[in-house]
Amino acid sequence: MAKDAETLYGERLKRYTTAMRNGKPDMIPIRPFVAEFTAKYAGYNCQQVTQDYNMAFEAAVKCAADFDWDAVVANMVYVWAGITQAAGLKYYAVPGVDLDVDTGFQYREPPEGKAFMQPDEYDALIADPTGFLFNVWLPRVSTDAVAPGETNTFRNNMSFLKGGMAMMNYFTAFGPQIARLKNECGTVSAIAGILKAPLDILGDKLRGYIGLCMDLLERPDKVLAACEALMPHLTSVALSGADPDKNVPVGLWMHRGCVPFVSHEHFERIYWPTLKPIIQEINKAGHQVLFYAEGNWNHHLDSFAELADGSIVYHVDNADIFEVHKKLGDKFCLSGGVPNYLLGYGTEDEVRQVCRKIIDGVAKDGGYIMDASAIVQNDAKVENIRAMTEFTREYGVY
Amino acid sequence: MAKQEEQKRPPGVCVPWQEKMKELGEIRGDGELVRKVWKDNDALGYMYIWQCLLSF
Repeated sequence: MAKDAETLYGERLKRYTTAMRNGKPDMIPIRPFVAEFTAKYAGYNCQQVTQDYNMAFEAAVKCAADFDWDAVVANMVYVWAGITQAAGLKYYAVPGVDLDVDTGFQYREPPEGKAFMQPDEYDALIADPTGFLFNVWLPRVSTDAVAPGETNTFRNNMSFLKGGMAMMNYFTAFGPQIARLKNECGTVSAIAGILKAPLDILGDKLRGYIGLCMDLLERPDKVLAACEALMPHLTSVALSGADPDKNVPVGLWMHRGCVPFVSHEHFERIYWPTLKPIIQEINKAGHQVLFYAEGNWNHHLDSFAELADGSIVYHVDNADIFEVHKKLGDKFCLSGGVPNYLLGYGTEDEVRQVCRKIIDGVAKDGGYIMDASAIVQNDAKVENIRAMTEFTREYGVY
Repeated sequence: MAKQEEQKRPPGVCVPWQEKMKELGEIRGDGELVRKVWKDNDALGYMYIWQCLLSF
């Protein structure tokens, strides 16, 4: 007889949290970060799940109901275009508007000369980060927002009103969505809260990657001071969204703070010293942090090993997961490692072989969660995702 | 986290209560209630801009 959702949820939550604390559950938990894949599976296109979050929520629920997954993100197609359009944010290419309907949304980084923050504006950011974002940054990234001192417009007023109301609308919809996952599917909501490293924020949304690289050479002290100024705010935002039950981790999305995007010296002097205290502060409040290590961060594993045992879950993207396990496996739970190209272009048998290799190599003593390397988009084949799921269920029993 | 104390607007704050309080003058009723509601709503403005930066 099939288990009811409540029983499933209890078993899955225990399995997922046990593994995240680097323990050995009854079987390997499965927690795929499925984004546009959910649309493909549920019969939507990328435009639909990006522009109508209700369709994205439906797609996530359908996948959670049909696949035996322990945890999923309530909506991994997180950037709802309703908000970006209401606020006039111009850095996204949106499917169905700027892109064809079957391509996932894209971030468009401006050229160096048009960076959203100029190199002589570090002091203003450092003195008042929140004021800088409202008064300088938002008017530059928005088609509608107007900077103080400029002539006000109707569109400016509406961008704040509509942007704020859209965000409230979206965020309040997550509670019922998480309840649906639990009550209809018995599936755990995988993460809660958002964190990015100060240096990544500077590179991603303020100076741009090229601008940041120039600054690291020409004004490294300003970069460090800006990162320090961002720290308390990023900590505050992360904690404000963290799981009150302290079961699931805060997601840390790691972008371009590693070698070769920055040098070892800059990682050691700026990236890590301005991220590590944030992690420790979040840990002190009783939460784990999920390091979503996009790309390859294996040059920095010794630094991550400085953190307390069990304080993070370390997700492996393109790096050698066996090397990660050797360095961090005693301290932290790992996740990921199944290449996305294989899920998109390989065969079911090849997927099963890779899953077997990962399970044999890193999951023997627990502390591992099955997942793809990166966020799963609509290029993944349904049969390959099914193969990853079913093989893990058969072979991943302790 | 030392920089927090030096900043004009600490985490969670857009328009500090101290600044707003000066505009209101003497509060004849429950001042703590006024302060709490001001801060709660002000925090929503803070969330808006930092979520725009981080999530959207």
